[in-house]
Order: sequence, then C-alpha cells, then structure tokens
Amino acid sequence: MLDALSRIIGWMPALLQAAWTTLYFTVLSVSLALLLSVFLALGKISKNLVVSKVCGAYVFFFRGTPLLMQLFFVYYALPQISPALTIQSRLLAALLAFTLNIAAYLAEIIRAAILSIDKGQMEASKALGLTYAQAMRLVVIPQAYRRMIPPICNEFVMVLKDTSVVFVIGLMDLTSQTRKIQSSNATALVFIPAMAIYLVMTGIFTAVFNRLEKKLSEYE
Amino acid sequence: MSVVRTENLCKTFGALEVLRDVSLSVEQGEVLAIIGPSGAGKSTYLRALNQLETITSGRLYIDDVLVEERHHGHIKYKLPHKEHSALLLKMGMVFQRFNLFPHKTAAENVMLAPVHVGKLPAAQARAIAEEQLDKVGLSDKYDEYPSKLSGGQQQRVAIARALAMNPELMLFDEPTSALDPELVGEVLAVMKSLALSGMTMIVVTHEMGFAREAADRVVFMCDGAVGEEGAPDELFSRPQNPRARQFLNSIL
Repeated sequence: MLDALSRIIGWMPALLQAAWTTLYFTVLSVSLALLLSVFLALGKISKNLVVSKVCGAYVFFFRGTPLLMQLFFVYYALPQISPALTIQSRLLAALLAFTLNIAAYLAEIIRAAILSIDKGQMEASKALGLTYAQAMRLVVIPQAYRRMIPPICNEFVMVLKDTSVVFVIGLMDLTSQTRKIQSSNATALVFIPAMAIYLVMTGIFTAVFNRLEKKLSEYE
Repeated sequence: MSVVRTENLCKTFGALEVLRDVSLSVEQGEVLAIIGPSGAGKSTYLRALNQLETITSGRLYIDDVLVEERHHGHIKYKLPHKEHSALLLKMGMVFQRFNLFPHKTAAENVMLAPVHVGKLPAAQARAIAEEQLDKVGLSDKYDEYPSKLSGGQQQRVAIARALAMNPELMLFDEPTSALDPELVGEVLAVMKSLALSGMTMIVVTHEMGFAREAADRVVFMCDGAVGEEGAPDELFSRPQNPRARQFLNSIL
C-alpha cells in the first residue's frame, strides 16, 4: 500500500507535466476554434449563397473525416504537396489540425444556438432601425450565448480527452505519458493518478462553465 | 399629406395570395383600425409597410415619397439605401408578442435604438428612455428585466421603445391579442392617449370597442383585400359588405 503510494507520488511530476500540455493545448485550440467558428456559423446562416455553401462545405469536410487523419494530413501530407507548407513544430501542426477540426463542431453549436432565438427578436431590431449586423451583435448573439454554454463545455471535455491523439506525431500529453509509464514500469497502477488528474481538469471546466451559465441566465 | 400610402399592394407566398391590390392611405394624425377575420392579411399588410415582408407588386409611399415599386416580384424602383432606411425610421412597430429583448432591462430596451441607430450618448438616451417609460406608466420599472414584468407592462415597454425613435407613424400588430383579459385595458389606455396626442396610427386589432372609440376610420379586410372602409360608427352599425356583416355579427 505504502509502496504503491510512493510510486504514484514518484510519477506525479511527469504526469503533471503532461497534464499541463493537455490542458493548455485544449484551451488554446478550443479558444482559437471558437473565434473561427463564429465566422463559420454566421457564414452558414448568411443569405449569400456562396458564403453559405463555402462554410457548409468546410463543416462537412472537417466533421466528415477523422481528426487523426487530419492531423496526419497537416503534419505529413502537406510538406509532400509543397515544401512551403511544411510546419516544423509538432505543436503548431497539432494546434492547426485541432483548431480546424473543432471549429467545424463549434460552428454547428453556435449556428443552432443563433437559430433557436425567436425570429421576433430580429424583426423588432429591424423595426427599430438596427442593421442586420447590429441586431446580431446586440440582440441575437447575446441571447444565444447561454444556449451555447452547455454544448461548448461538452466540446471542451471531449477535446481534453481527444488530445491523446497528438501522440501520433510525437507529442506527450497525459494519456501518452501514462501509457509510457505503464509500459516502462510494467504496472497499471499509473492509471489511478492519471484518471484523477483528468477528473480534476474536467471538474474545473464544468465548474467554470456552470458559473458562466448562471451568470448569463441572470435576466431569466 | 399622407404619412403612408400603398397602391395596389400585392403579396404572395408561393401560390398563396396574401394581399391583393391593397390601396390605402393614412393622413397625418389619423388613427386607422384594421379589422377582419384571421388570415385576412392584416398583419402581413403592416409588416409590408415597414418592410418586414417584401412586397410582390405595388407601390409604397412614405410621406408622399415613393419608397419601393415592384411588379411580380421584380424591383421597378427602390430608394437608395440611406434614404430608404431614414424613411423606415419614421415608423415604429408594436408586435403581438411584444418582442422585448429579454437580456436587457426595460430602460435598456428603450435606449438601444437611440444609442445604436440615433447615435445619442448613453446618458441622453437614458433620459429619453425614462421619459418614455414614465409616459406609459412604468416609472418604477426602469431596471426590471422583461421576465419580471406582466404582459401588459411588457407591451407598454414595447410601445415606449418604439416611441423613443420619434416615429411619425405607429404600427400596432394585434397589440393586445397575447394578453390576459385583465391586462388589455392598460395597453389600450396607453394607445388611446397616444391617439389623443395626435400620433398617426395603424392598428390591427380584434378590440372592436377600441376601434369604435379611438379610430377615425376603420378598414375591414378579408381574403387579402379591403372589403370595406369607413367611419367607425357607420361601418359598425351599417356594414355594407356581406362578409363584414357576417364577421361583425359573429364577434359582437
């Protein structure tokens, strides 16, 4: 018992280091994806057919192919298409693939939230003389925020775990590190602290998002 | 001078003809009530006036300026965008379901357009909002969210919100239809005082008492067309159009 505990404590620095990679990688890729997805969602809703089709095709492609292959594609296939497309840093390549992929999912979340807002809100805005962009920015999207929170939180938690995919291009996230310790020490004990760390991280995300949701619901 | 006028306004949704050759004009200071069975095109007509619906054919004038002319869906004439928006701003609209912005307080609802369309400083817009809310009897509700207000109070905020842009013409689309019966009176009272103050109004309504008392002229619409129009006393006591007679019999 004591022996197991001391072994677990011994692994902690390596695990925490890997957890940090997982955490900042998740936050960074989802945040960048959020920025991109707002434009994709608005584009897909747009009455401009070209814009709407392009955004629709983007979502279709990135949701319709595996993240793993997209990651391979960015890191291994792009340089073969043209050396100019080589991304030296593994981390940057992974960030790019993840951001592009997550943005497709987030775009659908945001689009659904915007479309769920009563049409009367847009009509009242127009009747008051607001432009479409003003109505979106001041009236529709602020109301949509609250409805996006639960599915975005879900997406965060999924990405946090999906991050393990990055080991295929040699990055060390929490899952990869755990597997490494497991095989080099021939013990499955390491899963206990690893899962605990995952739970702590998802717990933090959930708590933050719950607070955010409550704050955005104040007017209801 | 007419504040708003339509000539042969038509609107179709696919094969469905919702408005058929509606020609109406409203003079400055006039209160026009539009009555008729549901599906008659009353709301669509109001919505066509402030361009929430695109018209299929006909001409629309605001302040005697031709705003838009279409023929079978094709644009014959349209005012340049800037003038177009400026003319539309002369109309305020009140909706059946209020359509207040739920994430903004009563005062913020009223301030929004003055700040973002009228480009007024926030403090000045706030003063306008308070003044308008006072007028509709909501001096103690400035900072309440719509969810904390009754239906009648919400509709009064919506009226204040529309008035904050100083419209020349107010469009009311069945403003009391979504209200509990005991809350109808407070909204009608506000509308009556607005009418007395000289505001030009077009009111689509099922409140015949209001149409009779407050309107200068009543239009009966059915099947997308004007069935009959006249002074309230006349139209209510001696309707000529058989459909109008039938409609009035069924509700009075």
